[in-house]
Amino acid sequence: MRLSEEHISYIIKDLNSRGIVLDGLQDEVIDHVCSAVEKEMAEGKKFIEAYNESIKSFGSNEGLKEVQHQTLQSEHSKTNFMLKNYLTIAFRNLKKHRFYTAINIFGLAIGIASCLLIMLYVTNELSYDKHHEAADRIYRLDSEIKFGPNHLIMAVTPAPLADALRNDFPEVESAARFWNYGSVLIKKTEENIKELDVIMADSSVFSVFTIPFIEGNPKQALHDPYTMVISETTAKKYFPNENPIGQTLVIENKDNYKITGVYQDMPTTSHFHFNAMLALVSNNYNKDDNWLSNNFNTYIKLKRGTDYKALEAKFPKMTDQYAGPQAKLALGNDFSMDKFRAAGNKIEFTLHPLTDIHLHSQRTAELGINSDITYIYLFGSIAIFILAIACINFMNLSTARSSNRAKEVGVRKVMGSLRTHLIRQFLTESILLSMFSFAIAITIAWMALPSFNGLSGKNLFLPFGDLDFWMIVLGAAVLIGILAGTYPSFFLSAFKPVNVLKGNVVLGMKSGLIRSSLVVFQFSISILLIIGTIAVNRQLGFIQNKNIGFNKDQVIVIKDAYGMADQLQSFKNEVLKDNRIVSGTISGYLPVSGTNRSDNTHWPEGMQPTQENMVALQCWEVDYDYLKTLDIKIKEGRDFSKEFPSDSGAVILNQAAIELFGFTKDPLGRKISTFKGSQGDNFDPKSFATFPVIGIVDDFNFESLKQTITPLAFFLRKSTGLVSFRFEASNTQDVINSIEKTWKTMAPGLPFSYSFLDEDFGKMYSAEQRLGKIFIVFAALAIIIACLGLFALTSFTAEQRTKEIGIRKVLGASVGSIVVLLSKEFGKLIIISFLLAAPLAWYGIDWWLKDYIYKAEIGVFVYVLSGFSAFFIAWATMSFQSFKAARNNPVKSLRSE
Amino acid sequence: MIHSSELLKGTLQTIVLKVLKDQGKMYGYEITQRVKELSDGRILLTEGALYPTLHRLEAEGNLKTEIVPIGNRVRKYYALTSEGKSLAKVKVNEFMAFIKTMGSVLQVEMQ
Repeated sequence: MRLSEEHISYIIKDLNSRGIVLDGLQDEVIDHVCSAVEKEMAEGKKFIEAYNESIKSFGSNEGLKEVQHQTLQSEHSKTNFMLKNYLTIAFRNLKKHRFYTAINIFGLAIGIASCLLIMLYVTNELSYDKHHEAADRIYRLDSEIKFGPNHLIMAVTPAPLADALRNDFPEVESAARFWNYGSVLIKKTEENIKELDVIMADSSVFSVFTIPFIEGNPKQALHDPYTMVISETTAKKYFPNENPIGQTLVIENKDNYKITGVYQDMPTTSHFHFNAMLALVSNNYNKDDNWLSNNFNTYIKLKRGTDYKALEAKFPKMTDQYAGPQAKLALGNDFSMDKFRAAGNKIEFTLHPLTDIHLHSQRTAELGINSDITYIYLFGSIAIFILAIACINFMNLSTARSSNRAKEVGVRKVMGSLRTHLIRQFLTESILLSMFSFAIAITIAWMALPSFNGLSGKNLFLPFGDLDFWMIVLGAAVLIGILAGTYPSFFLSAFKPVNVLKGNVVLGMKSGLIRSSLVVFQFSISILLIIGTIAVNRQLGFIQNKNIGFNKDQVIVIKDAYGMADQLQSFKNEVLKDNRIVSGTISGYLPVSGTNRSDNTHWPEGMQPTQENMVALQCWEVDYDYLKTLDIKIKEGRDFSKEFPSDSGAVILNQAAIELFGFTKDPLGRKISTFKGSQGDNFDPKSFATFPVIGIVDDFNFESLKQTITPLAFFLRKSTGLVSFRFEASNTQDVINSIEKTWKTMAPGLPFSYSFLDEDFGKMYSAEQRLGKIFIVFAALAIIIACLGLFALTSFTAEQRTKEIGIRKVLGASVGSIVVLLSKEFGKLIIISFLLAAPLAWYGIDWWLKDYIYKAEIGVFVYVLSGFSAFFIAWATMSFQSFKAARNNPVKSLRSE
Repeated sequence: MIHSSELLKGTLQTIVLKVLKDQGKMYGYEITQRVKELSDGRILLTEGALYPTLHRLEAEGNLKTEIVPIGNRVRKYYALTSEGKSLAKVKVNEFMAFIKTMGSVLQVEMQ
């Protein structure tokens, strides 16, 4: 028999009240009970009797619940089934709260994209010089010389050192030397082209380093004098459609070098890049025996398993053996290495692991511009900070929204969800968010990469074809999802259903010590970054304007002037005929790096040259118009003048030199002496040259401002490297055109290249400028992400407190007081953040500035300014939402839910 | 005599699968009745064990379901999927082998 409608609805209601509510199971149980009841009734039982019988067969209330629980369990145990369920619910949830989801994903994506770019940069920086097969066994010889007031820290060593190492130490497998040519004029047939990064090298470089050849045999390359090997790019430039092997190039307008090989372009992650390498044997100084002059970059490859520290410990003995006698010859008979050392002096050679050079070496005469490990640490921490800020946003938003989700948690728990299921549900949501963010982040990073490359001066790319990259990205996405989701999921799943459903859990802005501390953390970092940015940029501005001592504006520098030989003076005169040109000077020495440098020891006249009174003096060879053209002010005395023929034997010193020579009183007219001739074959320690001091200039920086100003002297001598002209502020392009025209008529075969002094000066600080810019960009990003979080939090609070705000307004509160009410909480947090960040920032800046001789004053003002700007930015972010909430019509918020 | 639930514990899945294999599609109550009929009332499937088993088998992809409205309630029919069919065969063979082993362990003749 069939059950009546009333009976069925009775059964449905009764089962419901007994707690059978699980989707899918409920209908089944109803059908089951109905069928059983029908059968029983067919056997003659009454409905109620039959019904009780069937319920009993389920095991009454407990049994029914157990069935439901068991069913739920067995469904959950099947992960792929549940995963689908989790995903569906996660998607629904994210869609429902579009605003927060978008903020979460967007904030996290910006964070991840920044992190990704920084990671690319850092990985690139860390991979320098690893491409050499024996990278872990190659070392560069560094030298340090301390002698009286002079202290030289160099990447170059004496010429005979390589041979001595190879002969005396069996641990050394091979050794090779470079002699840096710098820029060189190269001619194929007619026109000279200026090539940068040309080097002279021993043939053994190819056994030390891995430099793959495209043509030619590395084993025979650079063996014979006047042979050279060139890079692939250079080959294509000079011999576009020919075979370069066997061809000849003219170097410096005089020597013919035969090309015997073409090597692959050196990777960008190499601390040196040579466009051409000339055989060092072509030149005589390769056989130089002078242990006191350092001109060669020396590299050695050690045998496998050699302890380089142990080898290094044997170097002092070698130094005594070879350098000792030569020093004695120069300094007199009472010289001994022991006395020399006892006086606090040293000549020391050390080994520098190849792979450490790029990040750990800032010595004189490096083969290229190296980076600094400090930047790696700085950028690494910025990356982590930004990611942390983005993750915190995520956590804060999830927990803040918990009051909305608390009901969901309560209902789910009542329905029999276990805590693990809830945790899994929330983790699925956060991993899903993290995945989306990663997808967007990769797109952002890909789009931002060209500008980042411009900013960082690198040529980075995203390794899309690399499986490892995707594995790492995927792994990181899951990891970040778990990291960001753990706290919210444990927090939410811990709610007691009874409390939640009764409405006892009130979760708004007021609760959550953890959330407050996270906001404080975010803003501390943001304030730290603001202070850091201001400090870096202040220091940059400071060092670029401090102690310049000359006028860098409106000076054009013509390069490679030596190619003009004896025509140079008439070229200068010809150019000066143009009345826009104020003055001009011929000198290879300029107060910007990359121009000539030469030092020589001098001492006050009349004294015996000893290690105490000898001064390593920068000797700049200039002409009559040099100081005038560069606008270097004479502090005392006078400039070189044609009226005094004796000026050719005179000297102008800078203040640092005056102090080191001890000419504190009446320096003008005092004299300094130096050895005549150079050390070597015809060296005579008894013959001196002496120069009277005719003028003194203020100290000015001619190297990076990280270094102190060293003693400097101007001599009236011929130096033909560069011609500089000061011109009047007018149409610069016209001036260039006019000079170029003169150049082309007087030297048709020579390339005309020029630069402006202020640009060259700026280049000395390109690393610092880059750092400053990168700092600004990432600090701004960090602040944007932090504010994004704050924005969402405030709008959430406002949403939560709609009713409260409505009531307050009805009772007469003004818009202003409500805005204050809403912002007060965060205002406090930002003040706490400032108090935490300020000392940290102070410490960090102090640490960074310790490298600089000249430090900018980072006053209290900077800190206060940073604090206020953080507060202002945060307040502006919040007030938008606060105003919106405060201006709402109270009727709307109070009328209904 | 009714077999004890101790003995039946491991065989529930096998019974459900085999019954469904022989009968095509069935609903929960029908399965309990069919088993009762086949065992002459000696095996009574408890609902508490049946439904979780059905749901698990469904979640694992061995069963497919069909919902048919009858009057003012709905009825959920279960049927084997192709995986379910092969699983049924495996389970039955497994159980036969088990009985044989038990026969030799307990030293009794099987007819």
